[in-house]
Amino acid sequence: MGLLRYILARTAWAVAVTFIIVTITFLLIALAPDPNISQAATQAALQGGDPTEAAQREAEMRGLDQPLHIRYIDFLQGVYTLEWGWSDNRAQPVTEALLEGIYYTAQYSIPWTILTIIIGPIVGLYSAANMYSWKDHLATGFAFAGWAIPNFFFALILVLIFSVWLNLFPLSYDPSAPVFSLQNVHQLVLPVFVLVTGSIGAIMRVSRNESAEFQNAAFMKTAKAKGVSPLRAYALHVMRPTLVPLSTTLVGQILVIFLGSSLLVEIVFGIPGLGRITFDALINQDTNLILGATLLFTFIAVMGNLVEDIVFTILDPRISYDDR
Amino acid sequence: MTANSTTDERLADAATGEQTDEPLLRVESLTTEFDTENGTLTAVDDVSFTVDPGETVCIVGESGSGKTVATESITRIINQPPGRITGEVWFKGENIAACSERTLREVRGGEIAHVFQNPQEAMNHCFTVGWQIVEAIRIHEDVPEAAARERAIELLDRVGIDNASARFDDYPHEFSGGQKQRVMIAMALATSPDLLIADEPTTALDVTVQSQILDLLAELQGEFGMAILFVTHDLGVVAQLADEVIVMYAGKVMERGSVYDIFERPSHPYTQALLGCLPEYGGAGGGIPGILPDPTAPPPGCRFADRCEFVVPDCREGDHPSELPATAADHTVACIHYGPEGDAGPIRDATPGSDRGHR
Amino acid sequence: MTGNDESIGADDVRATSGSARRFDEIDWDDYEEPGLFSVTPSLKITLLAGLPIVLLGLYDEFVVGDREATFVRLGSDLGLSGPFETLGVDFDPGSLDFLFMFTIVLFIAYVGYPLYRNGRMTRYYWREFKRNRPAVISLVWLGLIFVGGVLGPFLIAMPEQDLAAAYQPPVFASIDLVHTTGCVGEIRDGRCYGTWEHPLGTSRGGQDVFASVVHGMTVTMQIAFITTTIVAIIGITFGTVSAYLGGWADEIMMRFTDIVLSFPTFVFFLLILYIYGAGLGMFILVFAAFGWGATARYVRSKALSISEEEFIKAIRISGASTPTIVRRHVIPNTASSIITQLTLIVPGFLLAEAQLAFLGIGDTAVPTWGQLISAGRTSIDFAPWIVLAPGFTLFLTILAFNFLGDAILDAINPEAEAETDR
Repeated sequence: MGLLRYILARTAWAVAVTFIIVTITFLLIALAPDPNISQAATQAALQGGDPTEAAQREAEMRGLDQPLHIRYIDFLQGVYTLEWGWSDNRAQPVTEALLEGIYYTAQYSIPWTILTIIIGPIVGLYSAANMYSWKDHLATGFAFAGWAIPNFFFALILVLIFSVWLNLFPLSYDPSAPVFSLQNVHQLVLPVFVLVTGSIGAIMRVSRNESAEFQNAAFMKTAKAKGVSPLRAYALHVMRPTLVPLSTTLVGQILVIFLGSSLLVEIVFGIPGLGRITFDALINQDTNLILGATLLFTFIAVMGNLVEDIVFTILDPRISYDDR
Repeated sequence: MTANSTTDERLADAATGEQTDEPLLRVESLTTEFDTENGTLTAVDDVSFTVDPGETVCIVGESGSGKTVATESITRIINQPPGRITGEVWFKGENIAACSERTLREVRGGEIAHVFQNPQEAMNHCFTVGWQIVEAIRIHEDVPEAAARERAIELLDRVGIDNASARFDDYPHEFSGGQKQRVMIAMALATSPDLLIADEPTTALDVTVQSQILDLLAELQGEFGMAILFVTHDLGVVAQLADEVIVMYAGKVMERGSVYDIFERPSHPYTQALLGCLPEYGGAGGGIPGILPDPTAPPPGCRFADRCEFVVPDCREGDHPSELPATAADHTVACIHYGPEGDAGPIRDATPGSDRGHR
Repeated sequence: MTGNDESIGADDVRATSGSARRFDEIDWDDYEEPGLFSVTPSLKITLLAGLPIVLLGLYDEFVVGDREATFVRLGSDLGLSGPFETLGVDFDPGSLDFLFMFTIVLFIAYVGYPLYRNGRMTRYYWREFKRNRPAVISLVWLGLIFVGGVLGPFLIAMPEQDLAAAYQPPVFASIDLVHTTGCVGEIRDGRCYGTWEHPLGTSRGGQDVFASVVHGMTVTMQIAFITTTIVAIIGITFGTVSAYLGGWADEIMMRFTDIVLSFPTFVFFLLILYIYGAGLGMFILVFAAFGWGATARYVRSKALSISEEEFIKAIRISGASTPTIVRRHVIPNTASSIITQLTLIVPGFLLAEAQLAFLGIGDTAVPTWGQLISAGRTSIDFAPWIVLAPGFTLFLTILAFNFLGDAILDAINPEAEAETDR
């Protein structure tokens, strides 16, 4: 079976992609003046010292006086051995800071992803089964609106309505709440809702359109002629082929939101997750942490693409592994 | 073409095979309409016919004549809506047109099985062929997975799939067109149905594969003792397989009779025109001139009038002509020329192939 | 842009005889003399109208000083200060404005003009398109945003700070006097009522929200037009070249596209922003530079499938070179799909810009909707209009682009027609 070989080849390619992206990142940083150095120089100038000397000292301390290729190799080594440096601002190793962020980000990302995977295809299938009826139009309309409304704006409105006016949900996030507690569920309802509505639209649309195609396929007639019940026909004969194109959208859509909108949602709801950490690092000029966050997001994106490709290949029996 | 030799054998069968038992399937004034944007489309209009146990009945006609819809209306495979099916369908003494969807599901695949036109798309590309056959078995019979699997492999082997146990786990795209149709036949036979409805099962296949599939069907029919309702536009196939023939045009039955009557004494101008297209009957390979009438607004009178060379003004009046006896008791034709005031002589004289001499 | 000279430029009336045909099916070579660099009408328009803009842009970049207004300087250079002053010509467009104008010229030359030349096809598409009501409304909405974005800044002055008029409510609304520093309109029962002077109210700094929204339209349209143009150029070139080179070159180019596609652009832009600092121009450049992956992939597969068509094979046999085939037949035949694709990626760019502005790390030099939303966040409980007005404008614009993309897809894709039929 060529599947294992395919997965290995695809994974090797993913590693190569991260390598290329890491290299681009290195070049970006290496070719630009480090704000820390100019900061040190300014500091020295303000305190009456020699700015050039201070800058040099800072550069030496950060290993920036080395030739480019040595710095590059050091950088690569650091990246792949997970030695991502020290976060000046948070006074802890970058990896530790990021892990803390993941802890909070996962708390809303996991429920959001699960809900999206469950609800999206079911609503799409339901819409397809009732195509052009008012039920379909209602479902499609909601999905479209949820998809088009900017998540951060929607989050603001929901906070205004449900937290400020109706006082149903807490205004500020309490990071000390235990993960599996009613309090945590309560404070995560709105962020999860925002993200689910944001991600469900595309998935619902794809599953609606694809399953609409399959529910009129010749094999559905065969299934009916075999005596398959309508429920079984939808749940198996339509759902299974729909999953093939859907898998791509599903992973892609969740990634897009994870890598963009979820940062904003964290900021609106005050969740101290990855997005908030990245943003704070940006504001506080914490170079190592910004770099670490960028790398982490990059790795997640590459992993997501890898998973997407493998899942797609496994799901569609017509693809031969040698073709890709 | 081999059709002629087999025709003769069949003719001999037909002459002796007088069936008197209660028919397996009796369709009474079946009408199927579709609601479309342009109005109501009547695909099948008041059609009746019977199929006896073990018999092969062919429905023949041009594409668009309603033959596929007619067969798919029997077990209500047609989606309702947009379709609307009326009439009675008596199967083994029970009117299945009146029974619930749940009961009908037992019949579908269980006692009446289907084989469709395009094997390329008739199977779900995401499941193995084995899975799909096993599904057909286990829907109707409470047998363990392993037993169903064993039966499926037997069936695959029987329909001529080499190395059946290994191919059980293959996906449809790994089979050729002819093999796919064999698998479809295996799937249809999985529950030993009493009636197999085969809707142009060979049309999408190569000519050589076509005859293999037809031979296989004929063999299996004897083995499983089932009746076959065969839909085709290919008169060569009809000659090879049929006991009884029903000629349909624009949703109406034009002529019906034994295969001998239809081929040797075709009585309706439409049947004659169809036969006239065959090379053996001196046809040049072209079709019948003209097009089918608009199914949403059929013209008054005979549906074939616009394309008929024997048309007289009376043809365009009233309803479609009722079926009248032609040459034998069970040979009827829907044409006013066979009525008390008509004169069928010129039509009889125009029988295609009459100049090639009767044997 | 020599890559798609005749994107949809055919005046082949022959093909439209009888029932309308898709322009995809027209043989584009009939009406023009062959030659790789023949001057097409579209190219003429681009040169005639685009060149002055490019020259003016270069003049602005290299001659006019940073603190000078472009047209004032131009007036004095040309010795026309007098007439310029009388006419009130004192605009100071930036390089983005010039780029924006140039892309508009490109759109006129390569989308507008061909549609005009192809009157019959255009009317056919319009008929198809009209049946989709949400899409027509979307088109009207986007038209408004476009007109507002192009003309608005000339008609409505940039909103200015006026602390005496902070938190003015929109017309027909009111606000508790506690929150305001003064009231422009009527005061009743301790509440300040809105006036037509500030139809959508004012922000904390007293800036008129309506004026800010209109100025935000300019940015929105700049992003939409410029990114689309860049993405189209890179995507189409990359996709077709890859499809036609085939073999190893294709493999490498598509692998490269893979990398571009797996780039987390938003996060990556944060890094660039941090290191280099970035304005709207950089934003457009980076997002366009990483946004063409899907288009290239799409164009490649389209080009491959079209090159399998019989008529392309026939042209090839008749001796046409590969570049000619690509330029004259493949690209025009993929034009409709590319336009759809582009319409559907614009919302992503708009959203990204708004998100950055909301984070307060966008371009502070230009007024955008995202900035306004961000600015109104702290006072959302008593002055929600500051968030709602730009927020809904953004929402509706994104929605309109999506509807429009879907509708174009339906109009040019007969297979999908059944859907709109019912």
